Amino acid sequence: MAGATAETPGAMSFLVPRGQSRKHVALACAGVLALALIGLLTMMFGAVNLSAGEALSGLAASSDSLSGLVVGQIRLPRFLDAILVGGALGVAGALLQGVTRNPLGDPTIFGLTAAAGLATATAISINPQIPQWGITLAAMIGGLGGAGILFVIAYRGAVSPVRLALAGVALSALFGAITVGLLASVRTFIQTTLGFLAGGLYGADWADLYSILPYALPALVAAVALSGRLNVLSLGDDVATGLGVLADRTRLAILVVAGVLTASAVAVAGLVGFVGLLSPHVARYISGSDNRYLIPASALVGAIIVTAADLVAKLVITPSEIPMGIITAALGAPFLLYLVRFKV
Amino acid sequence: MRLSAEHLSLRYNGRDAVHDVSLDLESGELIAIVGPNGSGKTTLLRGLSRLLKPTTGHVLLDGEEIRSMAPRAVAQRLAVLPQEHPEGVDVTVRELVWRGRAPHQGILQRATPADHEAVAWAMEAADVHDVAGRSLGSLSGGERQRAWVALALAQQPRVLLLDEPTSFLDVQHQVEIMALLSRLNDQGMTIVAVLHDLALAGRFMQRVIGMRDGSVAFDGPPAEVLRPEPLEEVFGVPMIVLEDPESGLPVPLPGYPDAAGGASTS
Repeated sequence: MAGATAETPGAMSFLVPRGQSRKHVALACAGVLALALIGLLTMMFGAVNLSAGEALSGLAASSDSLSGLVVGQIRLPRFLDAILVGGALGVAGALLQGVTRNPLGDPTIFGLTAAAGLATATAISINPQIPQWGITLAAMIGGLGGAGILFVIAYRGAVSPVRLALAGVALSALFGAITVGLLASVRTFIQTTLGFLAGGLYGADWADLYSILPYALPALVAAVALSGRLNVLSLGDDVATGLGVLADRTRLAILVVAGVLTASAVAVAGLVGFVGLLSPHVARYISGSDNRYLIPASALVGAIIVTAADLVAKLVITPSEIPMGIITAALGAPFLLYLVRFKV
Repeated sequence: MRLSAEHLSLRYNGRDAVHDVSLDLESGELIAIVGPNGSGKTTLLRGLSRLLKPTTGHVLLDGEEIRSMAPRAVAQRLAVLPQEHPEGVDVTVRELVWRGRAPHQGILQRATPADHEAVAWAMEAADVHDVAGRSLGSLSGGERQRAWVALALAQQPRVLLLDEPTSFLDVQHQVEIMALLSRLNDQGMTIVAVLHDLALAGRFMQRVIGMRDGSVAFDGPPAEVLRPEPLEEVFGVPMIVLEDPESGLPVPLPGYPDAAGGASTS
């Protein structure tokens, strides 16, 4: 292995980074292709079925034509929402697993999702006619509040995984109960409520996308920018400080970013579970454990999971649909069991 | 690069562990800090390496207050290797050593030729080339310790602070680490190591600082300070100091408490 260190330095060493083999690059390409394929299927199938040609031409057509309306105004924005929701949850999971050094790190298990959900439900129950930007703002307040609670619990160093998960479960149960109580007390449209609680993209449109982009995009950029420091932080607080990374400040920044990403997902898709838990573990096969590659890979895997789950959710009982979160839970829960049994 | 403590007092784990210590660690020195458990030597090292905020006093790096400097700027000149490393760090040795370049790199840690050179040098110096592709968890104690040393060396520091770098190592690995520190010192690096083993301190170091109850009890070249009286005062047990027949360097040994009056170096 000594010969590998004598590799010529230069531009290529960044494109094919240290510890990244051709296998990793091929897997990443396969992931992008899979996402494109899911995209094509999403444009084709639903209440109205289109051929591949119709679906693709619908992307360019005006909304006067049927295919232009169905693809451009319904399926494309919903697909982009699904990418953003999945990417946000995948990255939030990778950040939480990295910062807590806990393989169970996940916005749902640590209570971030429930915190954002409670704030959203509160806003909806106060004003059922609240516009999407108001829902998103409420979700942000909740997500950041949840991140604050997590920071207080995990303030110093490696907190025991058990304590963090227990605290998260307690918070999730508390916030979840209040959320259900609130929503039950407001006689709002029942499918919206169910879609929110179980997690789904029913009716997700361009307005949803535009309402979360200003939060989610900067947060995704920040996550990538923090990934190198997260690597250093994983060596322990003392070593990180020695390498010029302030441990507590970095931890706070990472939790804030995870809170914003979780809130973005909750604002559009409600309480989607397990994507944050699942994505980083799958992404490790693509990228290895270096966070500079793991974080983008988690975004890709999260996007694939949510877009695929949404496609399935639309097709199983078409023309009606089941909440997408039920599909991710059906995938994620067995995987959690597998992790608990064999990995943790 | 000169590291100074000015009237430094430090609290650690809720205890006043270091009181009003002033020291000048000159550029190019090879220094051991010795003392019994709880004497404040680890705390002093943590204070000097800004892992611990002083309750009073200052630490100066080339005359500049270390806590008012940018953390990265300090890390480009000063590296610290704590005694305990976190468990479950799942990286290869090469990845670990590369992380030592963080203070010199931009936000995405893009590698430059200088980085490649520094990493190659660090792995060479710490002799971890053979295990570069192995994960940290699969290494023996000595290999793992050398990997962490390589991480600190990749920073290309002018000052290197180490907390008990030889603990838990067998004799061969102890000597290897000490010889490495000597070589680095020959290249101009200032080195400060907390050591438990007085014989290693006497053999390899140029200056020995003895701590007792959070204060400096003695400070000087081994031949001057590694004598029975200062050592007995610091460690609280009778000490015998032999002379290495080859180098003439002092080899301190604990004496027999029963024969305290009779223990003599003749």
